[in-house]
Amino acid sequence: MSSSTAVSTAAKVAVVQPRQAPALSAIVLRAARILCIVLLLAFALFPILWVVSASFNPSGTMASQTLIPQNIDSLEELFGNYTRLFNDPQVPFWRWVGNSLFVAGGSSLCVVLVASLSAYAFSRFRFKYRRNLLLSIFLVQVFPNVLAMVAIYLMVLQIGKYVPFLGLDSYGGLMMIYIGGGMALNIWLMKGFFDTVPRDIDESAMVDGATPTQIYWRLIFPLVRPVLAVVGLLAFTGTLSDFLLARVLLTDRQNWTLMVGLYSFVEGQFSDNWGVFAAGALLTAVPVVVLYLFLQRFIVSGLTAGAVKG
Amino acid sequence: MATTAAQAANSGGFAAPSLKWSTALQALLLLLVDGFGAFLAYNIWQDGNAFFAIVIVLTLALITVITLVPRLWPLKWISPALALMILLSVYPLLYTGYIAFTNFSDGHRYTKTEAVELLAERRYLPEGGATYAWSLYQNAAGAYGLWLTNQAGESFFATPEGMFTAVSGEAPGEYEGYALLEGGARFRALNSIEGVTFGDAENAVGIQSLETAGAFEQQWVYDAAADALTDRATGVVYTANNTTGEFTAPDGSAAPFGFWVSVGFDNFGRIISSALSQGPLIRVILWTIGFAVIGSLSGFALGLAAALLLDGQSTWLRVLRAVMIVPYAVPGLVSVLVWRGMLNANIGIIPQTMESIFGWAPPFSSDPGWAKFAILLVNIWFSAPYFMLIGSGALQSISSQVYEAAQVDGASRWVQFWKITLPLVLVALGPLLIASIIFNFNNFFLMEALFGGGPPIAGTSAPPVGHTDNLISYTYRLAFSAGGTKDYGLASALGVVIFFIVGILTLLQFRLTRTWEQVSENV
Repeated sequence: MSSSTAVSTAAKVAVVQPRQAPALSAIVLRAARILCIVLLLAFALFPILWVVSASFNPSGTMASQTLIPQNIDSLEELFGNYTRLFNDPQVPFWRWVGNSLFVAGGSSLCVVLVASLSAYAFSRFRFKYRRNLLLSIFLVQVFPNVLAMVAIYLMVLQIGKYVPFLGLDSYGGLMMIYIGGGMALNIWLMKGFFDTVPRDIDESAMVDGATPTQIYWRLIFPLVRPVLAVVGLLAFTGTLSDFLLARVLLTDRQNWTLMVGLYSFVEGQFSDNWGVFAAGALLTAVPVVVLYLFLQRFIVSGLTAGAVKG
Repeated sequence: MATTAAQAANSGGFAAPSLKWSTALQALLLLLVDGFGAFLAYNIWQDGNAFFAIVIVLTLALITVITLVPRLWPLKWISPALALMILLSVYPLLYTGYIAFTNFSDGHRYTKTEAVELLAERRYLPEGGATYAWSLYQNAAGAYGLWLTNQAGESFFATPEGMFTAVSGEAPGEYEGYALLEGGARFRALNSIEGVTFGDAENAVGIQSLETAGAFEQQWVYDAAADALTDRATGVVYTANNTTGEFTAPDGSAAPFGFWVSVGFDNFGRIISSALSQGPLIRVILWTIGFAVIGSLSGFALGLAAALLLDGQSTWLRVLRAVMIVPYAVPGLVSVLVWRGMLNANIGIIPQTMESIFGWAPPFSSDPGWAKFAILLVNIWFSAPYFMLIGSGALQSISSQVYEAAQVDGASRWVQFWKITLPLVLVALGPLLIASIIFNFNNFFLMEALFGGGPPIAGTSAPPVGHTDNLISYTYRLAFSAGGTKDYGLASALGVVIFFIVGILTLLQFRLTRTWEQVSENV
């Protein structure tokens, strides 16, 4: 295999080589390609540059913004939007960060723990109706829970009457819905990963008399731990980005998650809150983006396993 | 040994779990879960939501059976996830289906029993009822109290917190921490105590005038035999109409709120007739489908173009490919809001720049066509990096030998693209393209957060329907919009319709995925 690739690369080089002589069409093509790449990058990155610039714009309004912030006399002015974000009593930014981390962290941890057990069972055990069960789980996952919003709201309201920590305006209630909602997708994702772990491992352990529980916790779990971590992180960022459920279920400003908080800037005078919003948006996005850049390889394989960002 | 082998044989090759402390732990967990669930189910049953209670009980029964029957051990691994999914994903779906057949909406939020109970709590001040002379008190915490004296000379002290105790004598300067308010202080407090009910359930008192307070009485009385409510303030009798869920008077007026009833297929009928009469719904449907298809294809096309542009092994190209992940990684809501700012009429950077260069800027948020264009543009920004990401993987997996063979045959690059690259990439990305169409069919937050569905379609007032509303944001607006009627029944019916459309698309995707897999095996 490797020798044939080497040969074919050599052949390709041989074929391509004469073309790289300074033919005019080649130069034009190359220039066109570079131009296209520049345009593409400009389109992709301009909004990001723009929000970075907005966050450092000292006057903080949309109308006064320029790409390179003007009239900055001191560091205080440069970070004016950030200080406003941190010090405004109406904007408990760090509390929102804490809420988001708690809700997303807790629910993605639960999802990964529970879903990995099911994924393992679907991947390894053969039982009646296994295929039907898998298909039903897929169908459940496809239906967006925006539509069941009324029902979810009423359900949380009702449960909260008797179990306050799972009711409206509680993290428990929100986490409960995230856990239930994220389960199906993650079972599918993880089943794909479990399928790639060779069955020989299980079988040899089985011959030695190990129970499925032992095989899972002693052999498979340590093997797939990095993958589970990645799935967990993806579930984490997905939950972090959710806005609608959090908005419907959390009412008290102190209890909001970061996304609900950021959206609240829009509802007021968006163009006047623009700078503060940009600062908050940037602080939210940077950790997530860094995480994605680190996990890029896994994300691509996860995406091709059939997941779509939701 | 022999039994283990037999068990192993009929359970898919594994040895059955042995009896150990883990069994005890399982039993304990099962007891806890069952106990908690039973408590919840009992209370919810008492509340009148039998449907939810039954779902909880059935889920508990399922878990219990799976845990206790040894033969079902593979399901034990699935049961926690299964239980959570049934209660938190499947039940809301079923309940949505149930609401779709009711008139559940703002004026019909309660069951009949609940509505009668809630109305029975309302009080009014009848004329000629018991009256009191009153003195006002306030304690250090700011809470008010009334010293009441009736015509018979009996005195009582009442608070809004439900206190109503007999006291004796003239109104003192201070009573149990409450200080007498007189003159201007009493007058200023009038606003805050007007309409407040003092005393307990039997002795509800409110102030009528500066001098007198009157005993409140129950305003709405339900007569089960006549199935009617009487408004004792006016004497009008409101008869329950069990098909519309209202209490109606002979003159056609209705009680403050009704109750919800099953309305059969009415909600679905309204959807169909609205679609047939060329109402806003048909536009919403067309835009939903149009956006899902065009949005996905354009994102796919640009993503594939980007993947081709950045295809290669040099460090620069690798770095650029990594950079292109950034728009995909930024949390969706954040980037939609950034775009919303950039497209802001007049002062957003995009209209502003166009204004200064061309002297004219497209009215993105007020013109239907431009609003749709802007949404498609923002959607490309979102989805192209996603397709680029998976597209470049697919490009690299195409063997270079195929291209060499084509070159030997004298195929131009253009022909190579159409005959080799595109078909092979489509094989790999086709299922994901369909998944993307399904996702975009349900793309709620782009529609809602960019323009709030606007600009509104002329002639649709409550709830306002916008030119860029898709089915799901239209549904959301029906159910949750502040100015609208909050028609949960109709919203749920639309939800059911969407569910079936999405379900059909998904099954289609499954079919195609399988065909595509077979195709790719042959390559």
